[in-house]
Amino acid sequence: MSTEPATRSKKHEQASLESEQRYKRLLASVTDYVYAVTVEDGRAVSTFHGPGCEAVTGYTSDEFEHDQQLWYRMIREEDRPAVLEQAERILKGQETPPLEHRIIHKDGSVRWIRNTTVPRKDGQGQLVAYDGLVYDITERKQAEERLKSAHAELAANQEALKRTLEELRTANQELKETQLQLIQAARLESVGALAAGVAHEVKNPLQTILMGLDYLVPNFPAGNENIAMVLSDMREAVTRANTIIRGLLQLSAQTDFEMKREDLNASVRRALNLVKAQVIASKVSVVRKLDAHLPPVKMDRGKIEQVFINLLINALQAMSPGGVLTVTTRAGPFGESLNVNEAAFRQFSRGEPVVLAEVQDTGTGIAAVNLPKVFDPFFTTKPVGVGTGLGLSVVKKIVEFHGGGVDIQNAAPGGVVVTLVLRAEPE
Amino acid sequence: METEKKRILVVDDEPSITRLLKLNLEQTNEYVVRAENDSETAVAAAEEFQPDLILLDVMMPGLDGGELASRFEANPKLKSVPIVFLTAAATKSEVYARGGKVGGLRFLAKPVELSEVVACLRQHLGQGTNR
Repeated sequence: MSTEPATRSKKHEQASLESEQRYKRLLASVTDYVYAVTVEDGRAVSTFHGPGCEAVTGYTSDEFEHDQQLWYRMIREEDRPAVLEQAERILKGQETPPLEHRIIHKDGSVRWIRNTTVPRKDGQGQLVAYDGLVYDITERKQAEERLKSAHAELAANQEALKRTLEELRTANQELKETQLQLIQAARLESVGALAAGVAHEVKNPLQTILMGLDYLVPNFPAGNENIAMVLSDMREAVTRANTIIRGLLQLSAQTDFEMKREDLNASVRRALNLVKAQVIASKVSVVRKLDAHLPPVKMDRGKIEQVFINLLINALQAMSPGGVLTVTTRAGPFGESLNVNEAAFRQFSRGEPVVLAEVQDTGTGIAAVNLPKVFDPFFTTKPVGVGTGLGLSVVKKIVEFHGGGVDIQNAAPGGVVVTLVLRAEPE
Repeated sequence: METEKKRILVVDDEPSITRLLKLNLEQTNEYVVRAENDSETAVAAAEEFQPDLILLDVMMPGLDGGELASRFEANPKLKSVPIVFLTAAATKSEVYARGGKVGGLRFLAKPVELSEVVACLRQHLGQGTNR
């Protein structure tokens, strides 16, 4: 039939097309090829690239054969020295580990290849050729690259996470401290409220005892030393009880502050004057280091004097005869020229103008374990009957009411230094 | 003579305090003391006793010291009698820092010693109109 040759030709065309497509698919799936380099007198004289080279490089074996420099130009410029070094090493008969480098594919894309060389030697051990196996590792490299950037991202995230964790830890610490301060404030408030009620209830019985003593003393027959001693002890006990009550009332007094611009040095001097008798009795010397150019401070004069009296009496009671009581005042920007334990004065910001007062004794100091408790009401390290345990609580309460802070530390040469910091008023 | 002694009315809800104040003050031979423990009946007691000075507790059940002082002041027979308050609410240093007066009124802070009471009475007696 006349249609047969045409049909056959069509079938042939179809088969040819399918074969070409199969070849292309096959080519596309090839990811490695071999090449052979002929060596004469230690020099590479010719190179043969196996048919798989087209799939990896885009260039055919023929193209490589006709252009002996094509393999070199194909290498990405910055990778060429490493490739040349690899070639030199194998030509010298040295060990050559596989080399990974980039080439520019015929279509312009960058490909990564792994180039493994194997030397071929004659019977005398002379290098006559070497074979190379080239793998296309682009996908692996891209995956590695993605992995690397994922790693970097992870590391960055980890770093950010670390920072966040650190911030959280700091915030948690601050929260804990605030919580402790709140608990302490609540405790002080309840102690204060209780104190005011107790003070009133206790003062009336004290009044009865005191009036009773006033009646008994002149009415007991003279000459009985024991009775006189008992009555004297009773009067002393009333005085002590009243001192505790006074401390409690000072602790509970919250509103009657009369704030005016005052000279802190004047308060220090008045307080020192008021404890003069105790200074003489204690046989200690007093050193005043008062800054003559102190800016004014907004304060209740009477209350701040009370603060100094409490601190001075504490210092005097801590020292043996011969001790030195040093009172210092200074002014300046907080945390700069005035070097203090900043953690104890969080209410101040760096550089803020403040006035500082220090009361330092040369006593035995306070055991480190007791330092955090010294501002607690009724905490005392003094012998029974000497202190009420309210002096420093009152100090802290008054100073904090003024927006200031107070810190107590053991001094380097021995003894204790109490530091007060108050905001300075503009002059 | 009994009539030369100054007449002191002590008003405090604590009988032990008024009793001992009476004993102590009368022991000085300078005073005649009437003790009153019920603030509600204190005005009537004062009218009858006609004191030269009233020692008055501040915190008492029923009428407190402040209210009672107002009643004394409102009474024509008593308005010129000086009043010294006895208080357990203030401390000695607070009272002394203000020259023994708080809000223009005379105060003694409990617990007070007899010598302080006597000094205060001596200071204010004879200044009956200077309240």
